[in-house]
Amino acid sequence: MSETVVVAGTYLISYTLILGYAVYLHIRRRRTER
Amino acid sequence: MTRVKMLMGLAAVAVGVGLWFALTAPPDALQGEYSRLLGIHPPAMWVAFIAFGVTALGSIMWLVKKAERWDRLAAASVEVGIIFTAIGLFTGMVWGQAVWGTPWDWQDPRLMSTAVMFFVYLGYLALRNAIDDPTIRARRSAILGTIAVVQVPLVYFSVNLFRTLHQGPSIRPDGSTMPDEMLIAMLVNMGALMVVYLALMVARLDVARTEAAAAPESAIAGEAVRPPRLNEVEDV
Repeated sequence: MSETVVVAGTYLISYTLILGYAVYLHIRRRRTER
Repeated sequence: MTRVKMLMGLAAVAVGVGLWFALTAPPDALQGEYSRLLGIHPPAMWVAFIAFGVTALGSIMWLVKKAERWDRLAAASVEVGIIFTAIGLFTGMVWGQAVWGTPWDWQDPRLMSTAVMFFVYLGYLALRNAIDDPTIRARRSAILGTIAVVQVPLVYFSVNLFRTLHQGPSIRPDGSTMPDEMLIAMLVNMGALMVVYLALMVARLDVARTEAAAAPESAIAGEAVRPPRLNEVEDV
């Protein structure tokens, strides 16, 4: 696997984790409000 | 537009700027493209350290003031800190595989102290989930949050105190060990992840406030209020 793909994949996974947590917080808040 | 949405938008822009700096900085002569992980690995760990510092601050303030908002701050910062520690560990393993030829070394002080810190803060969340009474939960969490922060300097200085595969600090009192372009890219990403941390913290505190407002009876009365069991209900 090329270096570029590994580095890009690492960034992608890291920011997906952050995005996933942000979406989880959003859903949790919406469910509580209902 | 709400405060959370505004901060999330700002965080997205900051991440975009950070990525541009990280991906346009010149590659390292020896490590090649892997040196671009400078834009995510050290900043993620620094933000995690700050997050656990905020938890310690919230914990100490709760022990002093006994105000619920300090407990919420401490708990929120642990959650976000764990996310950043997970990213730091993961990106470090990718980098380790590329540079050291192994993603993990069970005898390495930097790696192991970081892993222990990660699991101690996971334990903090488990402790919170195990206690129903809000005051007891806040007190025990505050004690753990205050003690657990000693791991932060231990992890940071482990590269100076012990023999380890991990390199020493790149930014020292006598200057940086890397070219300016790489240093700037790292610092810009540090700023970007700080904005992300702030946005996630505001969102998490918002959730905590909403949940507290939705269940005020259980938070105050605790065990004193419970629904009647079916065999206790008399016919009317």
